[in-house]
Amino acid sequence: MTSPIHDSPVVLPEENAPSQRNDKERRLTISGVIAWIVALIFFAPIFWIFLAALKTDNTILAYPPKFIFTPTLENFAALISKPNVSLYFFNSVFLSVGSVAIAIVVSYLAAYSFSRFKPAGTDFLMFLLLSTRFVPAAAFVIPFFQLFGILNFKDSYVGLLIFYVMFSVPFSVWILKGFIDGVSQRFDETGLVNGASRAHVIFKVVLPQVKPGLVAAFVFNIIFVWNEFLFNFQLGGRNTSTIPVALFTSLYDGGATNWPYVASLGTAYVLPLAVLIFFFQKYLLVGMTFGTVRGEV
Amino acid sequence: MKKTWWSWGLLVPVLVFFILMNVVPTIWMLGLSFYNYTLTSAGDPRFIGMDNYNQLASAGPLWLSLGRTFIFMVLAVAIQTVLGAVVGYLFWKSNKVPGRRLALTLLFTPMILTPLSSGLFWRLMLDPVFGVINYFGELIGLDKIDFTTDATLAFPAVLVVDSWMWIPFMALMTLAALGSVPKAELEAAQVDNLSFWQRLIHVIIPAGKFIIILGILLRTIDVFKTMDLVYLMTNGGPGDRTELIAVALYRLAFKSFNLGYSSALAVLLLFIAIALTSIYLFVLNLRSRREAENA
Repeated sequence: MTSPIHDSPVVLPEENAPSQRNDKERRLTISGVIAWIVALIFFAPIFWIFLAALKTDNTILAYPPKFIFTPTLENFAALISKPNVSLYFFNSVFLSVGSVAIAIVVSYLAAYSFSRFKPAGTDFLMFLLLSTRFVPAAAFVIPFFQLFGILNFKDSYVGLLIFYVMFSVPFSVWILKGFIDGVSQRFDETGLVNGASRAHVIFKVVLPQVKPGLVAAFVFNIIFVWNEFLFNFQLGGRNTSTIPVALFTSLYDGGATNWPYVASLGTAYVLPLAVLIFFFQKYLLVGMTFGTVRGEV
Repeated sequence: MKKTWWSWGLLVPVLVFFILMNVVPTIWMLGLSFYNYTLTSAGDPRFIGMDNYNQLASAGPLWLSLGRTFIFMVLAVAIQTVLGAVVGYLFWKSNKVPGRRLALTLLFTPMILTPLSSGLFWRLMLDPVFGVINYFGELIGLDKIDFTTDATLAFPAVLVVDSWMWIPFMALMTLAALGSVPKAELEAAQVDNLSFWQRLIHVIIPAGKFIIILGILLRTIDVFKTMDLVYLMTNGGPGDRTELIAVALYRLAFKSFNLGYSSALAVLLLFIAIALTSIYLFVLNLRSRREAENA
């Protein structure tokens, strides 16, 4: 390969990955203590919301703020008993898992084509895909608002599912192409020479080798859809609202902010994200760079 | 022949989604930008050629927003890059700290939140009546402040919350940059007894700079997109003190309902986004090329 690899991700040397460093023994150094303190400071605002979720309304609004208090779970009990809340959670889970599942199938096929056949315009299409994620969301709200009106897609699962599929495709294509590029073409050639069909090569030979890419694309697109606010707010409605929209509308719910509700819903919204970050930390880099930088930190 | 069939056949599903959900809305937006079309006024949309663009060119407040976005961008990216580098280096140094994964999870959670919820969470802390920030302020002798409506403090307040979200991201990129330094070179530097600054300038920066630049570019792009956070914290106010360009666009579209004019602004932002994407890919390819040459 003498030609530059176009549009390929940056890949960190694996020898430098933390899991590869032979660091069996754990050590607490001064920098380690400071690092922990920094981490706790950054988490403090979220922890404050967790605490608020365990306080009564009066305790949240108390001044001076109460750091010591008797925790209560009544906010969560109230949260669960609200009929809409289960719908918000269902919508968030259904829309994110559903659209990302479709997006990954669609993107894998495209990424395979981009990686192996490099049809004319591959670089340009990859560029266009990435640029769609770099445009301010507000720019596209107007045409979508009108198109969804015409297609009768407003507040419908079908419309939002299709929207979120496209929302998830750019990152999926980028990340999967990077991973497929990393699988030697010889696997494909050997398979084809031995009489396997192209479909067999795509799904039985290459697919198993890009599992990390699939996991990363799946996890991070779920996070992105789970977090998406503006389009759900404008294109969704009573039936299809997700948690971020519920958080937003609760702010102006009957004039004053209902903090016990916001805090408990916010906690329920954050916890799954924090758990995902903990378990899939090694994909964080590729996820946050839209598939353009790969490696463990 | 068969290959061509496969290469395009596999692309069909993506292209269908892409055309339906990107090409059509883009053309729609371009079309709208040539019309006089306001939802609140009666009458059909009227073709007015370049009028919206001419109006855009002389719209003082919007250029002010763009300038404000640029200032915000420079400040945010500078603060986040420097502090992110410090935090990243700190975690790099302490890669054997007990519970590193949990600590990193706590550090990275702010950047994974939807900006809307960040704004919401900070409102609880910044509240002028019962907010914990004001409590700490009073402890050290300051008066209570309503940060989000204060003319001078609203902008810094948004900047602080934005930095809270994105310093962890630059720390992540710093960790990646440090991870891209060849181990052999680091060890050689150790053998040669280079000082911290010498190692930084001669070993770490040459190898790590690409990833940092990519991080800076991603942040730059993101500032242009920043809307939810500001919308929730200050709604662009007080006045227009925190009105970044994406907020201005949203206000224009959904407060004045002037769809033609706001589409013209959207087209302008689309071009800025395409320019930024080109720069991003240029740097990315520069790096691949360098690697291909070294290999």
